[in-house]
Amino acid sequence: MHGRPRKAPKPEEEAASVAKAQKLHALQTQFFSFHHNKIYTKEAVELSAKLLEINPESYTAWNYRKLAVEHYLSQPDCNPDWIKSFLDDELRVVENALRQNFKSYGAWHHRKWVISKGHSSIDNELRLLDKFQKADSRNFHAWNYRRFVAESMKRSEQDELKYTEDMIYKNFSNYSAWHNRSVLLSALFEKKAEGFLSKEKVLPEEYEFIHQAIFTDPDDQSGWFYHLWLLDQTVTTDSPLLASSWPGHGYDVFLVEDRCYNGSAFSPFTALHSDSGSFPIVLYFNQPVGGVSSSTVTVECGFNKNEDLLWKPLSASNSQTARVWVAHLKIPSSDLLSTVEVSVGHSKGIISTRGFEYSHPSMFSFKVHVQPMERDFSQVSVAESISLREENFKIYGSQSEESIINSFNQLSIKNGHESTASNWRSEALAKEIECFRELLSLMDCKIGKLTLARLLMAYDVMSYPFANKLVHSEEVLELCSDLMKLDPTHYQYYKDEHSMVLLQKVTSSKESLLQHCFQYKDSVSSAICGPICLRLNNLSLSRMGAFEKLLWVQMLDLSHNELQSIEGLEAMQLLSCLSLRNNKLRSLTALEPLRKLKLLRVLDISYNQIGDHSIDTTRYLCSSPLSHSVGSESNKDETVTSDVALIDNWEAFYIFKDFNLNQLEIVGNTIADEKFKSVLVKIMPKLKQLDGKLLG
Amino acid sequence: MESFRSLTVTQRDQILVEQQVFDIFKTFYNLPPSSQSFMLELQRENHVEYLTKGLTGLGPSFCVLDANRPWICYWILHSIALLDEFVDPELEDNTIDFLSRCQMPHLATTYAAVNSLVTLGGEKALSSINREKLYMFLRQMKDASGGFRMHDGGEIDVRACYTAISVASLLNILDDELVQNVGNYILSCQTYEGGISGEPGSEAHGGYTFCGLATMILINEVDSLDLSGLTDWVVFRQGVEGGFQGRTNKLVDGCYSFWQGGIFALLKRLNSTKEVKPIPLGDGEGSGEESPQTTTSSDAAGEEGLNGDLSLGGSHSEIGDQHNTSSQDNVIDIDHNHSKGHANVEPLFNSLALQQYILLCSQELNGGLRDKPGKSRDHYHTCYCLSGLSVCQRSWLEDEDSPPLPRAVLGPYSNLLEPIHPLYNVVLDRYREAYEFFTKS
Repeated sequence: MHGRPRKAPKPEEEAASVAKAQKLHALQTQFFSFHHNKIYTKEAVELSAKLLEINPESYTAWNYRKLAVEHYLSQPDCNPDWIKSFLDDELRVVENALRQNFKSYGAWHHRKWVISKGHSSIDNELRLLDKFQKADSRNFHAWNYRRFVAESMKRSEQDELKYTEDMIYKNFSNYSAWHNRSVLLSALFEKKAEGFLSKEKVLPEEYEFIHQAIFTDPDDQSGWFYHLWLLDQTVTTDSPLLASSWPGHGYDVFLVEDRCYNGSAFSPFTALHSDSGSFPIVLYFNQPVGGVSSSTVTVECGFNKNEDLLWKPLSASNSQTARVWVAHLKIPSSDLLSTVEVSVGHSKGIISTRGFEYSHPSMFSFKVHVQPMERDFSQVSVAESISLREENFKIYGSQSEESIINSFNQLSIKNGHESTASNWRSEALAKEIECFRELLSLMDCKIGKLTLARLLMAYDVMSYPFANKLVHSEEVLELCSDLMKLDPTHYQYYKDEHSMVLLQKVTSSKESLLQHCFQYKDSVSSAICGPICLRLNNLSLSRMGAFEKLLWVQMLDLSHNELQSIEGLEAMQLLSCLSLRNNKLRSLTALEPLRKLKLLRVLDISYNQIGDHSIDTTRYLCSSPLSHSVGSESNKDETVTSDVALIDNWEAFYIFKDFNLNQLEIVGNTIADEKFKSVLVKIMPKLKQLDGKLLG
Repeated sequence: MESFRSLTVTQRDQILVEQQVFDIFKTFYNLPPSSQSFMLELQRENHVEYLTKGLTGLGPSFCVLDANRPWICYWILHSIALLDEFVDPELEDNTIDFLSRCQMPHLATTYAAVNSLVTLGGEKALSSINREKLYMFLRQMKDASGGFRMHDGGEIDVRACYTAISVASLLNILDDELVQNVGNYILSCQTYEGGISGEPGSEAHGGYTFCGLATMILINEVDSLDLSGLTDWVVFRQGVEGGFQGRTNKLVDGCYSFWQGGIFALLKRLNSTKEVKPIPLGDGEGSGEESPQTTTSSDAAGEEGLNGDLSLGGSHSEIGDQHNTSSQDNVIDIDHNHSKGHANVEPLFNSLALQQYILLCSQELNGGLRDKPGKSRDHYHTCYCLSGLSVCQRSWLEDEDSPPLPRAVLGPYSNLLEPIHPLYNVVLDRYREAYEFFTKS
């Protein structure tokens, strides 16, 4: 009834409609009687056709016709000509039904079934499609059917590509045609069809094509999606790459016993205090991959056997693919200096979620220094209490500057295998950038600005390994700010983009990153202690990113931002101390990424909005702790089900049970009342300090 | 070489719709405040009358939709429930009898019938559902690939997956067998646009995106979707008219107030739990719900609503501006200020603009709602416009159990509809009753 006018019926219309209903009813009764008695006479089959012409959605009638067809095809006297004419009849019935309702799911499906018998002519189908696609060029049933016909009739993608071109010239606003073009081109790239062997030749032509549409009317949305797809094709390399790792190539890693090791020979960037007897190796890929294991990644070192290493994906879900993978090396108890070599992808098996094989085998190595350890950790950690207050920080660089910078240099992660950007890609981007600058000089266009920002960022990221800096970041930041003002409805979207670009900028050069590196000193003892603290506070970040460049960070200050999410933070496996004070986190489940941080000891989530919203939305995901996967996990733990307080706070249990915190600040959240705090103490028996108070 | 003609048929249709819509807005803004508030009033009584008439007289002219009677029941009953009205007990009895007799071996009608019975509520309605038989039916419809078939020998698509999973979840019969590989099927339907298509290879579509997202949430695999891409896509489906389009570069259609609007209600909840990656924008909210566009029927709706719009932030906005600067700008300003004033939670979409579209452009004053001005009312659009309206009214709200602030509800506060459960698109109270009922038994 979509769009069909319905007025109040006049009496005579009503009478006619009653008559029609009675007729249909009689038809149906007769039909069901044939169907149940498996009667497939000519008369019976014709009756079902009549029924379908009136009501194309009566799927039982379609099924009956399938049975009838099968019945006749199995007759011994059945010959090919006869089959063909029989099936042609079938197609005619479908066509009539489609005339009645060309969005009928049942009719299109039946047609596919008939065609898949393989006796019908493709030309007829294309003719019919032309008719329907002319009448409604966006009918997705017709497009779906077109793809089906093309595939089952082995019509070439090139021919279909030509068809989309014709459709686009008729009406370039027809997004369905653009979409089908992207589907066809993907298939051709995948097949490496002739003329489509490399994107290098095809994509520039496609850019030309889409420019016509965009310059004809920049406000027409169809072209923009296609442009976005082209951009993605240009930027994304098919096979996954290793973007960075921890430790990086050439690192000297010092494993130390005590947090206070200032003045010693250790670099504060690569010295690691570990109280768990192991340390992580982190691989950060440029896209999610699966299949990382001790057979695809080989770690050679004197103190662990490669086959003992267990590689785990770090992702929010339980999926077996992730951008970030981690394995833990056991630290030997004796003094040690050892070189560790890691080879990635020398044997096959690492595969991206889009199905491409990791094809750039790479190797990196680093040294591990282990200090003799007195294994009495409890004593060391009781005394320490870390407070990330302004007065406790000292900007980096005043003392022993040179050695600091030297050790910092180690961090600039430049794996040789990273720079595989082909020339044509950056050339294509440069050309697009020029083109969009021109467009924007002609008119003010929001989507044009957004696209230019995306292009500039993509260009910078691609040329970064060579230029070693982001040339356009200022311009991109300006474009984002501009868009926030121009298009307030999508303010937050641009703000997120702004945050991401800002983080890229901060992490892109030594100079800018050093400005955010601080030393922590204890206010009581005034000793300068511990690793470098990266302070990204007060930057009004709404989103966190650039993780691939921050894998080395052990202390991170993200306070006074506008973060609602910390997704991706699970990549920072070395984090031992994290401040999220004064952000906009709204639920405990937002802390999920932290569950994967096994070294995290100090956490500040004070002054967020946790508990402001009385209903936690997880209840839509998991209506109780005992249903669905999350709950069933905790169900196995008897302490949960037997303790009422914990059941009421199952979410807190779910999030905090895996934490290994010494110190937690949670004050300033609605949820953090005394009762809740006592629950937290129960969940985390090892907690030593809560909101500044020592626990007994 | 051929070249592009600048005014395409699509663009012309879009301009015509914009003119119609902006004329309405202009008239509205030139009226004195008292008449304005009349225009923005939800004509509850007339809607109820239209709906009740529909239910009583599922008259002969509906015969074509015979197979879809459960759908009409659902559209009407759900609309009535949203308006917080009740059905006459005798009529209710008849409807229950009818629904429990229909037992149609089709997933979409099954979904409609189950949602209708849940919406009616009460021991009689809920216990009339034979869960064992239904479970067996769902298993039969499960394809080896993981997806579901609409009916025996029927098509596999995202609708079928949603209706099967939604029904199973609501009736508390969802198990690993049913869930297995459904997620992979849905994943194969997410396109590079970010939205989800009906079947692999097709383009993203509002109805299917709702169905796919809801399914992934119900089976607890929502993380494997590209949620940022999805959010990105749906955000830009709201057009200058205030309403939503169903696909890229189509015309606005009132029914997507729910299909697309409901997506925001789902994302909002995910956002606070999992955080949507790319656009942790304020987060939409609303307790909207979603409905599947499952209709098999001719009318079916939904399928494509036509909506054009300005997706990508600006298309055609110039045209709009020329014609009615003031009204368009007003809409955006109102919304923006509102959201600023409120608890830092901005919906991901312009909720007041959508309410304005529904009330001024989709509503027929003598009852019923429609696709767009110039089209006629029908039960399908009435159901999904109202569902969408309910979502909008709560789009700033974090807590389903407290009423929204008056400024979140466009027009008189009496416009406020009942909240829905966005995963199933049934009124929240009825969901709770059903949840209790099926958890116990």
